[in-house]
Amino acid sequence: MDVLLQALLNGILIGGILICLTVGFQLTFGVLHVIDFAVGGWVMLGGYAAYWASRLLGIDPFISVFFVFALFTLIGCALGPLIYHVRTSRYARPDLMALAFTFGIFIMMRGGALWLWSFDSRSVGSVLSGASFSLGPVTVPLLRLSAFGMALLLGLGLFVLLYRTRFGLAVRAVAQNRDHAGLMGVDVKRVSAYVYGIYTGITASAGVLLATIYSVNPEVGVRYTLFAFFVAVLAGLGSVGGVLVAGLVLGLVESLVGTYVGTRYSLLVVFATLYLVLLISPKGILQRGI
Amino acid sequence: MTDKISRRRFLKGSAYGLGALTFGAPAIHVHAQEPTIRCGVVTSLSGENRFGGNLTRRGYDLWAEEINKLGGVEINGDRYRVEMFYGDAQSRPASGADAAERLIIRDEVSVLFGPYTSGVTLAVQPICAKYGVPMISGSAESPNVWLEKPQFNFGMIPAVDHTAGSSIGVIAEATGAASVGVVGVDEPFSKETAEGFRNGVNNAGLELTRFELFPANADLTPIVSNLKSDNPDLVAVGGHEEVLINFINTAKSLNFRPKAILMHYGVTAAAFADQLGADANGVLGISVWTPNLPYRDDLFGTASDYDELSHSRWGSHPDYTEAACSASGLVLQDAARRLGKPPVWDRQARLELVEALEETDIETFYGPVAFEREGNHYHNNIQPVPVVIQITEGRVVPVAPSDAAQTELVYPLPAFS
Repeated sequence: MDVLLQALLNGILIGGILICLTVGFQLTFGVLHVIDFAVGGWVMLGGYAAYWASRLLGIDPFISVFFVFALFTLIGCALGPLIYHVRTSRYARPDLMALAFTFGIFIMMRGGALWLWSFDSRSVGSVLSGASFSLGPVTVPLLRLSAFGMALLLGLGLFVLLYRTRFGLAVRAVAQNRDHAGLMGVDVKRVSAYVYGIYTGITASAGVLLATIYSVNPEVGVRYTLFAFFVAVLAGLGSVGGVLVAGLVLGLVESLVGTYVGTRYSLLVVFATLYLVLLISPKGILQRGI
Repeated sequence: MTDKISRRRFLKGSAYGLGALTFGAPAIHVHAQEPTIRCGVVTSLSGENRFGGNLTRRGYDLWAEEINKLGGVEINGDRYRVEMFYGDAQSRPASGADAAERLIIRDEVSVLFGPYTSGVTLAVQPICAKYGVPMISGSAESPNVWLEKPQFNFGMIPAVDHTAGSSIGVIAEATGAASVGVVGVDEPFSKETAEGFRNGVNNAGLELTRFELFPANADLTPIVSNLKSDNPDLVAVGGHEEVLINFINTAKSLNFRPKAILMHYGVTAAAFADQLGADANGVLGISVWTPNLPYRDDLFGTASDYDELSHSRWGSHPDYTEAACSASGLVLQDAARRLGKPPVWDRQARLELVEALEETDIETFYGPVAFEREGNHYHNNIQPVPVVIQITEGRVVPVAPSDAAQTELVYPLPAFS
């Protein structure tokens, strides 16, 4: 029973990490219709930014995460118009062009990280590193709990932004129909750039947490890109709400299978779950995807 | 007549230019060639094993730099400089095989220095056999590499079945640990390390509480939770550096500290203690070389001299993989001297070089080197004696067996700070 409780808690906390990773990715897909291969790259760069902040300036990742969010939001806002330009180009298959473009960005990020930070894995220490408390028979790691809390905050923040602000209305309008939103006076290009900025900010912040929980190196991006795809497809591409459920489901599946069947079968069961969901509900777990 | 260049003229000119470059380049290449020993290095310079891959490159490069300072390898009284060519295996066996073929055909290397991982080494071996190019592997530790009885490959580090199993018995004897949980990454070297640990547990008559293999990118929380539930005296982990760092981080976050933790490979690398800080202290590892060993040779001096040289060159203290890679060069120069033929070596000369390598029997700063001529460790150098080390204040310190120990083994481990 103790092991089951621990497994359930682990699963929920892993789910929190997956949510952090994917929520911005979904928003970008919904608005820009871009499958961003660079998602893992933003996670990696966020982790390295926290590493530098910690090593060079002695700033704890739970403080630097706010600076990282601001910095990467600015970078994303600057890059957004370029992504928009590629995605809306009049040349053949702009969707594939955008895919290739983000893949190129990812390759540059990976090469740049290898050049800047070398091949070593970097751990990012925090005051919460290794800290935990006992809840009956269950050990609750504070770092993961914080990541889970941050995922909930992000979800709530995005919900408020999308459904309680005029900007959110414009974002939803662009997501529904870009041309019609433009005819209604929405500056589609600017909204798209802001959305891309929010996405890079959130994803880099997730990278700060992931680097603190695990470690960061130039190759981690590939892994996180894959995870983001898993969760996004399970949630239904473009569905932000679905991410909250899909992240938790995948986290629980991974933890329970890892504990009771064996970790080597985790990915097999995750893929099987994905396959079944796509078979039964191609629009994702909440049937709200594209 | 207009001054403008027409499209047709431009394309024609470009084609001529390209043709001249294509056919002219080899001529330039041939003219630039001097009698050198062309060595290829196939290793993981990118991908998930880039950390160890770059360590191997450092080891090989250090030998090349030092021997070239003397003018090169001495053969029949003349010295021949060493030229290094690199092929990135990208941590993938198939890419490693491609890189090896490219080095042999395009760069015309006479000798290969082997990859970091056993998986890539297994993929490169058939390429060596196809072209008759000898390879000296300064890293591969999987016993499967030698079970195939590779004619052209020679391994510097004893296979892990030779080292991992015996270390469990040594630790149990030193500590009185009675139960062991074994986990490892499900990839060639790490899996065999875990299996070596398991065999060691069985041979020592200890209780095996758990044996589990997991993918390299798995979240370790379920594994550590299960180990915590079992609560064995000793936890043994087979994996490379990133997994080991994550294992310690996860164990700390779940407040799990067994009486002893044994890991292989990566704990002896400086980056392990550097990245984990105080949490690395107390972790046990296995090493076939430490700087305090009483070995020496003419090029690098003592083991301690090599340690200082490597530190001043690369900024970090070398582990046994770097040392074994540098010693690979010593093996090559000794065999080339006995071969007595100046480069470039044709296929026949390379076959004779293989025979010379088989007869290697030298002492280096890394320890004695002689390759097995038969059995399950064919062409593997099993001369070095493994010692159990413990990370103490960030340093790698031998703690067992008793005749090699520099300090007492800390057991049981204190709680995480």
